[in-house]
Amino acid sequence: MTAIRRVWIFAFLFTLWGMAANPLSASPSPRQDTPIANPAPADIEQGKQAFETRCSTCHGLDGGGAMGPNIQGIPMRLGAPAVADAIKNGMSGGMPAFAGQLDAMQIQQIIAYLLTLTHKDTGTVTGDPAKGKQVYDSSGCAGCHIIAGEGSGVGPELTMVGQLRGPGYLRNAVVFPGTDLPQARVFLETGGLLDYMFVHIVTKEGHAFDGTRVVEDSFRIVIKDASGKFHSFDKADLREFKKEPGKSVMPSFSGKLSGEQVNDLVAYLASLKGAQ
Amino acid sequence: MRIAKYALVLSLFLAGNPARSLAQNVSYERILHSQSEPQSWLTYSGSYFSQQYSPLKQINRQNIASLKIAWIYQPSKPVSNLESSPIVADGVMYITEPPSTVTALDVRTGLRLWSYTPTLPEHVVSIGLYATSRGVAILDDMVYIGTADSHLIALDAKTGAVRWNVHVADNVMGYAMTGPPLALKGKVIVGIAGSEAAVRGFIDAYDAKTGKRIWRLWTTPRVGEPGAETWGNGAYESAGATTWNNGSYDPDLNLIYWGTGNPAPDFNDDDRPGDNLYTCSLLAVDADTGKLKWYFQFSPHEDHDWDSDEPAVLFNATIDGKPRKLVGFANRNGFYYVLDRVTGKFITGAPFVKETWAKGLDANGRPIPAPNQEPTLGAGTLVYPSITGGVDWTSPSYSPQTGLFYVSVHETGAYFIKGTGKIEPGPPKGIVGGGGIRALAGEQSYGAIRALEATTGKRKWEFKLLAPAWVPVLSTAGGLVFSGTDEGNFFALDADTGKPVWNIELGHSARSNPISYEVGGKQYIFITAGNVYMAFSLP
Repeated sequence: MTAIRRVWIFAFLFTLWGMAANPLSASPSPRQDTPIANPAPADIEQGKQAFETRCSTCHGLDGGGAMGPNIQGIPMRLGAPAVADAIKNGMSGGMPAFAGQLDAMQIQQIIAYLLTLTHKDTGTVTGDPAKGKQVYDSSGCAGCHIIAGEGSGVGPELTMVGQLRGPGYLRNAVVFPGTDLPQARVFLETGGLLDYMFVHIVTKEGHAFDGTRVVEDSFRIVIKDASGKFHSFDKADLREFKKEPGKSVMPSFSGKLSGEQVNDLVAYLASLKGAQ
Repeated sequence: MRIAKYALVLSLFLAGNPARSLAQNVSYERILHSQSEPQSWLTYSGSYFSQQYSPLKQINRQNIASLKIAWIYQPSKPVSNLESSPIVADGVMYITEPPSTVTALDVRTGLRLWSYTPTLPEHVVSIGLYATSRGVAILDDMVYIGTADSHLIALDAKTGAVRWNVHVADNVMGYAMTGPPLALKGKVIVGIAGSEAAVRGFIDAYDAKTGKRIWRLWTTPRVGEPGAETWGNGAYESAGATTWNNGSYDPDLNLIYWGTGNPAPDFNDDDRPGDNLYTCSLLAVDADTGKLKWYFQFSPHEDHDWDSDEPAVLFNATIDGKPRKLVGFANRNGFYYVLDRVTGKFITGAPFVKETWAKGLDANGRPIPAPNQEPTLGAGTLVYPSITGGVDWTSPSYSPQTGLFYVSVHETGAYFIKGTGKIEPGPPKGIVGGGGIRALAGEQSYGAIRALEATTGKRKWEFKLLAPAWVPVLSTAGGLVFSGTDEGNFFALDADTGKPVWNIELGHSARSNPISYEVGGKQYIFITAGNVYMAFSLP
């Protein structure tokens, strides 16, 4: 590549960067240093190339984890500044520092690309979000979920679930909860363990517990039962310890809601992009 | 002129002053006979045989339940990628703080005695690795560290003052040092990292007193050199075979045993037909001359990133009624090997984890390839073990007491995806060649501590772990095996049965060698995790 051509490409990318990352041209956001709003395909492509060159050996080509952890969904969970900081300065557990190898634009392009890996599917929204909110309110969902500070924390918070999951995934979660669990962010060299794994436990004394796995190590496990209470066990003290992917403490809304209501509820959930 | 004369007189005085040489002296002879001073830990893996074994037995199966934290040390600044294994000698523990700081601690209390931090470039190049240091070496009155920017630095063991500093290789080209040096017989032996940046590997020996390079053994050949015929395309610039961990040493044979890493580019083998010597091999090297005495290549023409940089475990045992000098090696490719360490001849080998890439080993230990196990474009090929192998670089342990080889294994596979990039001249911009893997889900993977009969590889017991772990193993004469989990447990197992007898959650996975030492009549077990260096003892 000639030097002049390189300058032109740089100028072009710099212009793209300015257009995409300029806070004046993007929608207002509560965070500084947010991911590129509405990234251009060129940004995502650049991010993909940088990711595949620098990151995929450890995190896998799909970000699902390899020598390093599963990082699908990481920008939404930790926020772009934290991810940019981790890329720049590295972090404990094996993540190298890329300062000097990647500039700020490349880091943001990688984050933009990572965001495309967070949607497990796309699907389409066909319902009405406003009606969906009514369905949410009248179906008892807030008894287990928190949206923008309101509700109960038995199940996962849904404040930005529309950023993390596509409509098809949300529909499946409403109708067949527990059948397609997301990978948790844990520092394993393999893919992460599944979030919300259903666990059935019977202690040596004969006490039975059902719940979702909150955390597990090789010796212990903590579960959260359907009332939101945590229970901590040493595995050596258990008579039965069964992981049952496919089951869930969340009831299925299949048959309880009409097809239209499910569509509306999915539209509402898909519209949840963050705290207001 | 006058100053020079005074300097000469002073240096002659110092060199001939017996008081100085007695002040702090971890002589070669002391390291040779390290088993006779179990209170110390004088090399990376406890002895030149790299057995990760402690003859101490104050802490044992009967009393381990009362093992408690004795002290904790934390660096003044938080560190990343803590994989530092200490040296313990004469009341002092020498640790590294990533990337390249050396610190001396009071071994009884963990209090800091001195600390040395080299000046590193603003941007240290670390491609396919992270800037860390797995530890130092000690010899006589000096401590040695290989730095993230590829310098070898000798420090005064009493003060941390720099005695000499030599430039080993060009960090801008991707060369980095992460492994601990090996000090022996007036020399400091070091390896180098950077295969993913397509550097050419080597092993170097430096004069321990002066830092002058004595020999260099390149680990890939150039055209016209032996082994060049194993790199197709004639003039291909053979790259890789880096030597980024620690070696072992047999003083009777005067041979150093050092493992080598993958060829470059890793996931694209189009331009390098042939076996690609001496990648993914164990090299036996004459300690005086640096001449290659023999090699054993575990994974010819490798393209799954299965380096062979784990320290080779040397042990002696009887096979078919004859006493033999042996090497035990649990390779990243999933096979456990027993080699004759005099000749390098293969004795036996068997998978120690699930593997799908080879149908077995032939009479010479060469793998018999299984079909369709190469990385492919698109969705990739599912192969066992994964990129991290049956075990990666983390040290196994051999107990002369049980005759067992203890290793922390990874039971998982991955989809291997072929890269399309080529090696380009000039400083590397990233991992050369591209490609990579898609990992299996966590629920489809697990880890284990496995005890293998060292002479056969036959499994005696296993203790399952939730996830594949990156924690080295220590065995002790107290009948215990120490290791950790990726979830943050540090635990002890019964060395005979694998039954867990003690564990504690450290809040972060350990990554350094567990080691053991004794001071003031008390045995300690040492480990690191997160930002923390800690020692355990009985109350």
